[in-house]
Amino acid sequence: MNPISLPVLFEWARRNRWIWSLVGVLLLWALLSLLTSQFSLNSLSGVAVSSSFLALVALGQTVVVTTGRGNIDLSIASVMTLSAYVALIVIGGQDSRLPLGLAAILALGLVVGAVNAVLVLAVRIPAIIATLATGYVLATATLLANRAIPGFAIAPALRVVAAGRVGGFPIMAILAIVAVGVAAIVLNRTAYGRTLSAVGQNVRAARLAGVRTIRVEAGAFLASSVLAAFTGLLLGAYVGGAFLEMGQPFLLQSLGAVVLGGTLIFGGSATAFGTLFGSVLLILIVTTMQIAGLPPGTQDMVQGIVIIAVLALAGGVAVRRRGARASSPSR
Amino acid sequence: MTSILASVSTRFDSAMGSTGDVLVSLKGVTKAFGPTQANSDVSLDIARGDVLGLVGGNGAGKSTLMRILCGVTTPDAGALEFAGTALSFDRYSAAEAQANGIRMVHQELSLCVNLTVAENFFLEAPEAARFLPGWRNIYKMRARAALDAVFPDNHIAVDREVRLLPIGERQMVEIARAVATPGVRLIILDEPTSSLGLERSRQLRTYVHDHAAKGLSFIFISHKLFEIVDVASRIAVLRNGKLVWNGETRNTAVPDLVRMMGGEAAILPQAARSKTNLGSDAALVRIAGDVVSLLGHEIELREGEIVGLAGLEGSGQKELLHQIFAPKRSNAARIDRKGLAGFVSGDRLREGVFPLWSVLSNIGLGRIARQSMFHLLSHDSEQAAVLPAAERLRLDSERLKSGILDLSGGNQQKALVARALVAETPIILLDDPTRGVDVAAKRDFYTLTAEIARAGRLVVWHSTEDIEFLECDRVLVFANGRIVRELCGEAISEQAIVDASFTPAATLAVDSGRVRAKRNGAWTRRAADAAPFISLALVLAVMMVSNPKIASVFGLDLLLWSAMPVVLVAIAQMFVVGGSEIDLGIGAFVGLINVVSATLLFDSPGLGILALAGGLIAYGALGALIQLRRIPAIVVTLGASFIWSGIAYTLQPTPGGSSPEWLTALITWSIPGVPTSLVIILLVAIAAFGLDRTPLGVTLRAFGANPVAMARAGWSAAKYAALRYLIGAVFGILAGLSLTAINTASDYNSGGSYTLLSVAAVVMGGCSLIGGLVSPFGVVAGAVTLALIGALLGMLNASSDYNAAVQGVLLLTILAVRAAVAGRSEDA
Repeated sequence: MNPISLPVLFEWARRNRWIWSLVGVLLLWALLSLLTSQFSLNSLSGVAVSSSFLALVALGQTVVVTTGRGNIDLSIASVMTLSAYVALIVIGGQDSRLPLGLAAILALGLVVGAVNAVLVLAVRIPAIIATLATGYVLATATLLANRAIPGFAIAPALRVVAAGRVGGFPIMAILAIVAVGVAAIVLNRTAYGRTLSAVGQNVRAARLAGVRTIRVEAGAFLASSVLAAFTGLLLGAYVGGAFLEMGQPFLLQSLGAVVLGGTLIFGGSATAFGTLFGSVLLILIVTTMQIAGLPPGTQDMVQGIVIIAVLALAGGVAVRRRGARASSPSR
Repeated sequence: MTSILASVSTRFDSAMGSTGDVLVSLKGVTKAFGPTQANSDVSLDIARGDVLGLVGGNGAGKSTLMRILCGVTTPDAGALEFAGTALSFDRYSAAEAQANGIRMVHQELSLCVNLTVAENFFLEAPEAARFLPGWRNIYKMRARAALDAVFPDNHIAVDREVRLLPIGERQMVEIARAVATPGVRLIILDEPTSSLGLERSRQLRTYVHDHAAKGLSFIFISHKLFEIVDVASRIAVLRNGKLVWNGETRNTAVPDLVRMMGGEAAILPQAARSKTNLGSDAALVRIAGDVVSLLGHEIELREGEIVGLAGLEGSGQKELLHQIFAPKRSNAARIDRKGLAGFVSGDRLREGVFPLWSVLSNIGLGRIARQSMFHLLSHDSEQAAVLPAAERLRLDSERLKSGILDLSGGNQQKALVARALVAETPIILLDDPTRGVDVAAKRDFYTLTAEIARAGRLVVWHSTEDIEFLECDRVLVFANGRIVRELCGEAISEQAIVDASFTPAATLAVDSGRVRAKRNGAWTRRAADAAPFISLALVLAVMMVSNPKIASVFGLDLLLWSAMPVVLVAIAQMFVVGGSEIDLGIGAFVGLINVVSATLLFDSPGLGILALAGGLIAYGALGALIQLRRIPAIVVTLGASFIWSGIAYTLQPTPGGSSPEWLTALITWSIPGVPTSLVIILLVAIAAFGLDRTPLGVTLRAFGANPVAMARAGWSAAKYAALRYLIGAVFGILAGLSLTAINTASDYNSGGSYTLLSVAAVVMGGCSLIGGLVSPFGVVAGAVTLALIGALLGMLNASSDYNAAVQGVLLLTILAVRAAVAGRSEDA
């Protein structure tokens, strides 16, 4: 190999952090294919569907995390669960009521996102606390909805989207890839994506540069809630109903996908493709553990350890980069 | 302390004269920040018993010189001698400066405002502290003695929290703390009287005078020149980083000093500029309100003008600049603005650059910022928009691709100006734009500013270097938050600006307003402090009225047992929140301990105890990891929560287990007539209170409030982070054990709801999420209240489904009310 190209490669990898999660996916896939015959094409499409659900919520989380200052949306799990219940109640398994159902889900996402945004931006409650609390309120709503559901019928059209295939390829995966593509364009190629990154890096500088920071941050919370709501709807259709706590695993996993994908946890730099690959990697890890026959408790532990380890390795890189030049002259 | 002073004074007696016994000697100190010469070839001797008055205009290099002397900043060249021994600057550090008896009272106060006066004395000299009740007395006495020695009749209560003291008293504490440090030999006072009244200032000068006679040395920095002339035995004048005068006070006078600070001739020749377009153009900004009350008329700023905002630092210039950028109604200045304003800050790191981006993106944002959200960007059009601006600023287009932080300060500044240019706003606001920029770049910058103005924009320029105002068409000079002078055209000179800056303005009105605000603040604070206890009493009262059985010992006992785990988890969370972090894993940890104590601890106590110890260590390590790797505590503790519940699930997938006998015995004793649970809850509260009052607790709180000052004083952040999480783990373990004892069984899911409850209780109890504020009794009251709400809902026949919602809404309401209260006292 050309001796000059190696540092160039590293520099490129430093700028395109999503590459690490892709490498992780490929390595783990290769390893699994070699080591076990159980890892068939069938389980691969299972991985694809699971990662698609995760990628959709994780995209929303990516945007919220990118607003910086430790912002995280902890309400997504409850939004997902409640959304699945609302879908059951409003749609009632009839395709004719699908538009109404979609409107209800959209409204749910917008309302929760707006409430989160108001709490964080106007009332100035830290995002973790605000979203944790709205999550609790939604949990109660879910309990009430649980008593109100008429049955577990799923509208056929919805079922097709959530569980159907086109030429052997899961429709969910196509949906997720389209969503990731759109998100990538929004993040990299629109004024919104640019100002979002600016807000996440240095909110004061962004405000002084004329960025309407409140709008940008509010947009992030709205996007996160709406995405979580629609994922909840589809997940409900996929599993054929709804159950309490069904959104719960997605809370840590969405953060895990964001972190693994190379989006900076301190904000300012997001990668939609990274989040996609991070989701696939995380689901692959879980699948590996299932194939290996690890009990569910151990699976949780490993997920927790992986996320802490990745964070500890990446460390406060961005922070130190900023801090390194902090010695401004005195007055 | 007295013995030190005595020994110093005997030494002083043996060597009279100010030149004979030199304590510190700086020789040829030179320091550049990037291209800016902050100090060039400064030589100064400070003798024992000297009071050196150090004066100079804004940006003259006083602070840099003092930081070098304190070991905070390393100079590029120069030598340091201490009591005749040469010290190498390479190895000179803040710690060594302190060991040599140098103490500095900083302009920006470095007290931990959440601690008491005496506790702040402890942080400065912790050696005398013991883990015994009453350890504070040493520091109380020390604080009392020091305050009384410097400021007789001060009536500052040494066990009062610093945040409750007015700014002047804080300054007094800061000064007294520095002079009371054992072994101190040289005290640097940087603007020590900026918040002191005349009488306190006189007391300080008397103290300085008396102790200088005993051999203590002082450096006294002040903008109040009459004070300098009064207190100093010698005076040194700095200008543009150079020492321009150094001599005995009796050989000079205030007018001489002002002249030497201002300088007769400008160092940088003023740009030859034709001031043709004055007065004729449209007004873009109109300033009215209190800020112009001394001037007597409103001020209009017009296009094509460069308007300077001058004055001593912190006189209100910066505030006005921000007001023009984003006018607010509820303020002393009323601003009418036509058209948008761009802002260029000299504090590039905090208010200017986006560190992850290239120069191109940094500039381009100026255009993108105000575009509609879904406007598609193209690289070419961005380049096309940025290039002309970059060329105009003579910014090398080759460098547009490099990272913004790879540029020199001057070029970064050009990029920021370019950002303002591409935004095409009619008004450009400059906030000390040339800070840390070299002379040549400054020259460029001045020319550019003139060009921008001539092209029909309004430039409003705040600077901390008076010489830059020579570039302006008009200068508004501030003093004490008001504009005191408006200088136009030829009338602008450094001399005129310095003269006007020292205008004694009517400060009385401002001060009385502040006092009133303080009183209002104290009232709301007291109400907030009492809130958790009042709400607890209310909830209890409602419950007793609706069910009289609760008022019995048995009823109360039963009720309070259910609150016990919540109380303990809340205390654990309180210590973590005290360090301005939040533990999202504590609930799961409590669940794990519940399982461990009902299974392992029951079956094989040895293994159980080992497991508990392992949990403790893991928690402490987590705390240290968060601090060392600077990763967000929320994500780490959330990740950890999966580990805890994973282990718990593995140990015991379905509810079961049983409580060890000794554990049950711990809660089944009773004192007749008193609910056992009440006694234990009170004991827990007292224990937490006691822990918080130990030197360790005080140090943890100090870290929560002012980690920067703590690091500067040499405290280890990682060690105390680990200790903080260890304490959290101890209370978490107690919570898990109490769950086991009360339920006599375990469930890996049992801790789930405790995370939110603990945060809610901590907030309700009056702790600040920003950290540093810890109130154990309030938190306990909050925890009990929250636990009782569940029972109350049950009594009111509401479904338990509503529990979570009520708790969530309650937490949000409390936070909203707190934010509103805090916001109001800030505004006042």
